[in-house]
Amino acid sequence: MSSYRIPVGPLHVALEEPMYFKVDVSGETVTAVEIVAGHAHRGIEYLVAKRNIHQNLVLTERVCSLCSNSHPFTYCMALEQIAGIVLPERAEYLRVIADEIKRIASNLFNVAITAHLVGFDTLFMQVMELREIMQDTKESIFGNRMDLGANRIGGVRYDLDADGRDYLAAQLRHVARELLEIRKIYEGDASFLRRTRGVGVLPAADAARLGLVGPVARASGIAADVRIKAPYAAYDRLAVEMQTGEDGDVWSRTLVRLREAGTAIAIIDQCLKDMPGGPVSIPSIPDIPAGEAIAKSEAPRGELIYYLRTDGSDKPERLKWRVPSFNNWSALPVMLKGARIADIALIVGSIDPCVSCTER
Amino acid sequence: MKDIAAAAGSLVAGLAAGRATLVWRTDGKGVATGWCVLTDPADLAPLAEGLAALPARLSAITAFGADKAKKTPGFRVAYHFDLDGDTLTVTVPVPEGGSVASLTPWFANADWPEREMAELYAIAIDGHPDPRRLFVDEQLGAAVFDQYIPFSAMVNAATTKGLWEQVIARGKERAKE
Repeated sequence: MSSYRIPVGPLHVALEEPMYFKVDVSGETVTAVEIVAGHAHRGIEYLVAKRNIHQNLVLTERVCSLCSNSHPFTYCMALEQIAGIVLPERAEYLRVIADEIKRIASNLFNVAITAHLVGFDTLFMQVMELREIMQDTKESIFGNRMDLGANRIGGVRYDLDADGRDYLAAQLRHVARELLEIRKIYEGDASFLRRTRGVGVLPAADAARLGLVGPVARASGIAADVRIKAPYAAYDRLAVEMQTGEDGDVWSRTLVRLREAGTAIAIIDQCLKDMPGGPVSIPSIPDIPAGEAIAKSEAPRGELIYYLRTDGSDKPERLKWRVPSFNNWSALPVMLKGARIADIALIVGSIDPCVSCTER
Repeated sequence: MKDIAAAAGSLVAGLAAGRATLVWRTDGKGVATGWCVLTDPADLAPLAEGLAALPARLSAITAFGADKAKKTPGFRVAYHFDLDGDTLTVTVPVPEGGSVASLTPWFANADWPEREMAELYAIAIDGHPDPRRLFVDEQLGAAVFDQYIPFSAMVNAATTKGLWEQVIARGKERAKE
């Protein structure tokens, strides 16, 4: 059987963002993969060192569109640690609500793309229509469909009055109903199962060895979720169900994301029920002293970590963040080895990769 | 503090006196962050081996200049380890033109962050299995993060000042209202 190397990307009809894969194949079977990055590098980590703490709130929200809220959220937490800022309790709940709304929309986008990549386009359109409810919800509450602008240093920039809470609760009921129907298809449709079960398998030992995070790791049985292991904002007062899988294949990763959309709805419901009254931010921001801090959050794709060093000026001495996708690319050589050429795009999509986040 | 974090603290305490400092902070949610500074980069590899055995997970690596104003040459490299939710940051000094040991023998996911650190700061990584550029093209010089590039030249635009003057003016108007 002849062996040869085929290029996939960096611009490819099945890739949402540019990444270049040099794929070695023997016949129709993948034997090895080399990943070549660097097509969307924007130097944002350099830019943040040239801008002040407020400008960076705007800039970090633009690192990525799908997890855009996770970046300013985590950046604020690092800054607040250094300044010793304690958030009003209501602000902590409102931050959780904004982040979980984004999680639902992000996860639905990925499971919709998975349906598209297996050629199940009616399901793709059905899920995207469901996701549109979340897009409308974001637009109604925050004024934007992607970048929410919800966070500020010491709190949030939005509030939910009684009408807002009722509207959000009604939208979530609608999504929850549809989500149940869609899960039945992903769990039981024979054609979907044929294309996704046993495909792109990542054993738990490899997930642990490679330090993988988020739904990719959890679908292989790694029970790690920052919201549970290192609670932040209001998560220490909320019940967060850990969603894990066992098979580590494309199907498990898809199911974990679908179940986590359901968990996000349950979390928002708790917030709407338990959220106390009071201010949504501190009245004024104190001077930010010299210091260093670590902040972590569970972004839709997994652990997001920010490291911030300040020197007493209004600009960070160093602001570094490691996004979940940065870690998770290393899963692909394991998942793709032995896979069919026809499944390459499906397996790549199953790690929910974000190049904008990875390369910054 | 989690048991595994306490075990990591014991590893640091096992280093010879004067070679490491360690301070733990715990936030209002009970999540601990440890801040360890090694005086000699030679202690990094054995400490990493011990942390891997706990098992800690390498979460991220951050390199930065020893001094923002560049009055002091050289760099520092901070390794952030996840300890079941708690975090230990181990910082080592790296002299100008110096190197640090690769942690890939114990943490496979050190591969990309070490390549990124090497291309952004021209810090050599001893024993890295694949020391090629990661994101930045070879045509660009070494240590792009350590070069001074005027912001206006970088973005090729001059709108920022005007934009923020508008924001400040709007804030003052609101304060009056």
